[in-house]
Amino acid sequence: MLKVRNYSIRQKLTWMNMLVSGAALLLACTAFAAYELTDFRQTLVQALSIQAQIVGANSASALLFNDPESARTTLSALRAAPNIVAAGIYTPAGNAFATYSRDRGGVVSPRLEMPAGLLQAYQFSSDELVLVRAIEFQGKRIGTVGIRSDLRELTDRLLRYAGIVVAVLLVSLLAAFVFSTIFQKATARPIAQLAETARIVSREKKYSIRAPATPNADEIAELIDAFNEMLEQIQERDTALQAARDELELRVVRRTAQLEAVNRELESFTYSVAHDLRAPLRHIQGFADALIEDGADRLDGAARGYLNRIVESTRRMDQLISDLLGLAHVGRQELRIQPVSLSALVQDVIRDMTHDTEGRNIEWRIGGLPVVEGDPGLIKQVFYNLLSNAVKYTRPRDPAVVEAGQMAVGGERILFIRDNGVGFNMKYAHKLFGVFERLHRREDFEGTGVGLATVQRIVHKHGGRIWAEAEIDRGATFYFTLPDPGQTQGKL
Amino acid sequence: MTETASSARRFPQVATVSPGMVPIPRGLRWPHLIAIALTVSGFSVPWNLHAQTPKPTEYEVEAAYLSNFGRFVEWPAKASSGTDPFYVCVLGQDPFGPLLDAALKGESIGAAPMAVKRIAGPEDAAGCRILFVSTSKDSQLNAVLTALRTSNILTVADMPGFTRRGGMIQFVLEGNRVRFEINLAAAQRAGLTLSSELLKVAVAIRRAP
Repeated sequence: MLKVRNYSIRQKLTWMNMLVSGAALLLACTAFAAYELTDFRQTLVQALSIQAQIVGANSASALLFNDPESARTTLSALRAAPNIVAAGIYTPAGNAFATYSRDRGGVVSPRLEMPAGLLQAYQFSSDELVLVRAIEFQGKRIGTVGIRSDLRELTDRLLRYAGIVVAVLLVSLLAAFVFSTIFQKATARPIAQLAETARIVSREKKYSIRAPATPNADEIAELIDAFNEMLEQIQERDTALQAARDELELRVVRRTAQLEAVNRELESFTYSVAHDLRAPLRHIQGFADALIEDGADRLDGAARGYLNRIVESTRRMDQLISDLLGLAHVGRQELRIQPVSLSALVQDVIRDMTHDTEGRNIEWRIGGLPVVEGDPGLIKQVFYNLLSNAVKYTRPRDPAVVEAGQMAVGGERILFIRDNGVGFNMKYAHKLFGVFERLHRREDFEGTGVGLATVQRIVHKHGGRIWAEAEIDRGATFYFTLPDPGQTQGKL
Repeated sequence: MTETASSARRFPQVATVSPGMVPIPRGLRWPHLIAIALTVSGFSVPWNLHAQTPKPTEYEVEAAYLSNFGRFVEWPAKASSGTDPFYVCVLGQDPFGPLLDAALKGESIGAAPMAVKRIAGPEDAAGCRILFVSTSKDSQLNAVLTALRTSNILTVADMPGFTRRGGMIQFVLEGNRVRFEINLAAAQRAGLTLSSELLKVAVAIRRAP
């Protein structure tokens, strides 16, 4: 079956026109022809009937006075009708009284029987019409006439009608085709052009094209206008989009430059400050130590006390400066990315802390730790800071339990360090990683407030996250993420 | 006559169907349209000799013809009088016996019922429409015919030379078929008009007197 739905609109319209007119015509012609032929059949029957009546009337005396020749003569007049194949006059008993046959030696029925009650009867067969009629003379039935006619006239008519129908159909189909072609200018062509334009726009992304307008004022014209408007809007939007993008680019470049500048400033500031702070500090320390060493006997208890406090403070300040330097260092340094085995690293850190953990009852619960990717030095610092914090804040505990391990949450690998120390108030959790922020009193726990800030910076530099949870007196847990091997691909 | 013949007086109701509107029931074929011929016993009317089996005798045929002649002849207006019987008379020795009565039984020409009258001489022929002259009157034929010349009576006989001598219809035997000659002039002289249908089947026609 031809895929009609794949035809172009023009073809569809043409086909539709031709089909519609063809069907309508065919129906009409067939109806007319059928009616005509039916009518003509009746006409044939009537003609035969009249001929039978005439023959019958003229054969009355022949029948009554037993003169077959006379009857034959009467019958032979039927030769004038070329459609009559044979005819016969029959006695009431049904025997043939006289016969006529168009062709020499043609067959006529030798006997005929006709139902009593009927005056006339006829029957159409495939190629003949047979009619029988009683011969009535002065009210009495004296015989029967039978006539056989061929259907040549009918067939001729049928063929002629068929010919006319075919001719009319052909002409009208042709006309339909021609008219279709003429009218497709107003209907199918604009649509085809629109489709073509859409195709081009889609393919070449050229939104500056417009579909050609039509002189019509119908839905197609509306469609074309709407289409063009849409293209207009797309163009405008594109331009606006581009402008916005350009502006953003500009802003980003500027902002980056600004940020970079600020960052650089900040870092060099921190560095130089720390260094510049160190120098006088060394002086203070040095002279304080010298005082203690050389002038210890010249000083009284109170003065010695004051000196010790000075030394203590300078040491603290030194530590602070170191930490600050460390923090700044983290910021400036280029990461050396490599695989780092955390389990080995943690063992190192614990070893490094031996001095601080002397005399303490610490239970180390180190779980399986993965291999991560990052700068080994910095990561070591992370663990050092976190573990030493844990050790520090579990001082009141015996035993102190420090755990380290990993867990999977939502498809992510989270590393954690947990302790059973004094914990902190979650209300201040947001301050935890701020520089110089301390959530405990200096008298209870020493510290500069820079350690966690450093840890956070390192973790962020590796592209990870860090957060903490705690309960006062129940301990604290620090969670953080570090990249898997192969994740960073040198992007840090 | 056979039983069928007597019951045959009742003619079947012939349906007056308009021509062409009566189809034959399906399944009928030429040449054997429905065979209810025996119910068509109405056809074995004696005056229609073809229904008869066995073969009719000469006088049966002549009797049948006599019953039919009247249908092809026109009498002058004064002769006919509505419902008065239509007499077929036999002059002389009756050769028909019961045949003529049988042939005319129940028949009528128009409204006039047919009947047989046997007469002795032409003077009794008043009221006769058709007169069959027996061969016994051969010798007196001229007198008979002269007497009947203008009497509007159709003269029929089967004696040879009847029409030559002025009789109107003369039966002749052709082979074993009963035919007849017609003397048209004699009929015209008697004021009778003979239908061309009758003349058609006549074996010979005398037009000159």
